[in-house]
Amino acid sequence: MSGEGAFGERLRNAWVEIRENLGRGALQALGIVLGVASVLGGFSISDSQRKRADEMFVKMGGLDKLRVQPADAVKDGNPTALQTANRGLRGSDAEDGSKIDPASLQGVSLQRFARARVRSPHADEERQIQGIGGDFLAVDGYEIAEGRVFSNEDDVNASPVAVLGSEPAAVLFPSGDAVGQTIRVGDTPVRVIGVLRERIFRFRRDQHNIFRRKNRFIFVPASLVSGRMQGDQYRRLDRVTFRIPDIKAMEAFAKNLSPVLRANHRQQDDFRLDDIGARIRKERSQSDVYDVIFLLSGILALLGGGIVNVNIQMASLKDRVREVGVKMAIGAPGSEIFREFMTEAMLLTFFGSLAGFGIGVAFSKIITLSIGIPLAMDPSSFLWAFFLAGTFGLLFALYPAFKASRLSPMEALRYE
Amino acid sequence: MPSVIETSQLTKTFGSNGAAVHALRGIDLTVRRGEFLALIGPSGSGKSTLMAILGCLDSPTNGRYTLDGRPVEGLGGAELAKIRNEKIGFVFQNYNLLPRASVVRNVELPMLYAGVGRKERRRRALELLETVGIPDKANVLPAALSGGQRQRVAIARALANRPSLLLADEPTGALDSRTGAEVIGLFRDLHRQGHTLLLVTHDPAIAIQAERRVEIRDGVVAGAEEMAA
Repeated sequence: MSGEGAFGERLRNAWVEIRENLGRGALQALGIVLGVASVLGGFSISDSQRKRADEMFVKMGGLDKLRVQPADAVKDGNPTALQTANRGLRGSDAEDGSKIDPASLQGVSLQRFARARVRSPHADEERQIQGIGGDFLAVDGYEIAEGRVFSNEDDVNASPVAVLGSEPAAVLFPSGDAVGQTIRVGDTPVRVIGVLRERIFRFRRDQHNIFRRKNRFIFVPASLVSGRMQGDQYRRLDRVTFRIPDIKAMEAFAKNLSPVLRANHRQQDDFRLDDIGARIRKERSQSDVYDVIFLLSGILALLGGGIVNVNIQMASLKDRVREVGVKMAIGAPGSEIFREFMTEAMLLTFFGSLAGFGIGVAFSKIITLSIGIPLAMDPSSFLWAFFLAGTFGLLFALYPAFKASRLSPMEALRYE
Repeated sequence: MPSVIETSQLTKTFGSNGAAVHALRGIDLTVRRGEFLALIGPSGSGKSTLMAILGCLDSPTNGRYTLDGRPVEGLGGAELAKIRNEKIGFVFQNYNLLPRASVVRNVELPMLYAGVGRKERRRRALELLETVGIPDKANVLPAALSGGQRQRVAIARALANRPSLLLADEPTGALDSRTGAEVIGLFRDLHRQGHTLLLVTHDPAIAIQAERRVEIRDGVVAGAEEMAA
């Protein structure tokens, strides 16, 4: 049949057929509905999680960082002379590392940790102190709210100055006039030169602020902690962080950094490298696994639904054999019968997909609402779900349609 | 006058060697253009099998069949469908209308398969409903019609593509005698207008209305008689 409006006529007949057999149609479409809903729901839930995680990483100051931390070189027994003579992670490691690929490097930060008694006219507490250097505040995503950050001279001279996190600023100086005041860190009088902006991020709505700890630190120059406070003549560090946004450059950098550090450390492996981005990418690939699982469960639903569909089609074909016979008698070739059956199946698939979209969106909305993250849906999830439904709808419609198209007109007409 | 149907030594065998049933054992039949012929015979005589082969719904096992000058034995399914669509109009005992399509859509269906345009389909379908005497039933479903009316719709549908041959299989079998007579009257009108009719029946009272009767018995032509003029 190639007549004008032949397709429209087929579509119309298919629609009438579905409307007149709503129960049967609904059963046939059920597999499609569930498959589409499960693919869409699964995808959008993992999309939502991922989008939220991305927002968090941006607030963390990015993932493009390589951290170097001291590690135990002595596995067991007594340390060797080389191990004893080793001086650990120091500022020179950061300097030498910076020379490897200056073009790609966007920042180096140094950290030295300590705990100390901190006193102000209003409070007297044991506190976490972070001795920092290089570009620490920028690399770690801190912003200054009041006053200024450390200058190069502060670092070199181990100046007794401090930048307070928002929480200690409020505790030590409840009236809010911290900048310019003096506190005692351990035995050292230190002048407050700045206060940091409070950092807040809740992964889920009612969850605690995951940056809470970041607001609690008191920052001073690293040289002040290691030198004046701890009397370490080598001014050792607890952490050196390199920031390299380009992933390729980062990989090359990580490879080249180890030998440089080993040379500095008398060939001792007393440090370890920690690529934050790689760790997150690994976690991501686990969430990709979830995507595949969602996809598979969708495909399983579509497969099961498809098999049910074939059964229903074959059963309903029996009711329709006579009708096929009549159409053949008045001149419908097998190809036309085939197209009519396929049109009906595709229309059902279409309606099923729409219903599946509705259920999938509602499902994702409920889940994301219950875990308290904003719903993020990617248009590609819809396309994926629709594509899968279309493929399976088509595949499972082929056999019944083929069977119907191959009926003998004579036997079909006589079928009781 | 040229023949619409010409068969020679048509045979049809069902089943295989051991349990073969020879439904037709060599039928020679000629139907001239414009003729009104009744095919009669008791049930099991092979007349339904013959009707299926003449209607291109089935293929003969052996023998030759020429429809409208064209040999059709051994044609494939798609070609037979095209011939059924263009050359043959079927009228069945149980009407065989599509229950979910309106009357006018039922009549349009053969034209749709033939590729006739939408407007022309509708125009011709309405004209045909006028011809068979039910112009006011175009938009109702077949279920809303009486048996006689349904058979008229079926006849309109059979005429849709101006076929060379109208094949009616017990067209009055499901109707009461008065309605049956009306339907036969309609066939006689169509015959007068020049249509070629082949009526399959077991009812002598119906067969007597035809121009010529051919009796099938045990798969062969048992006898033929012209209608007394």
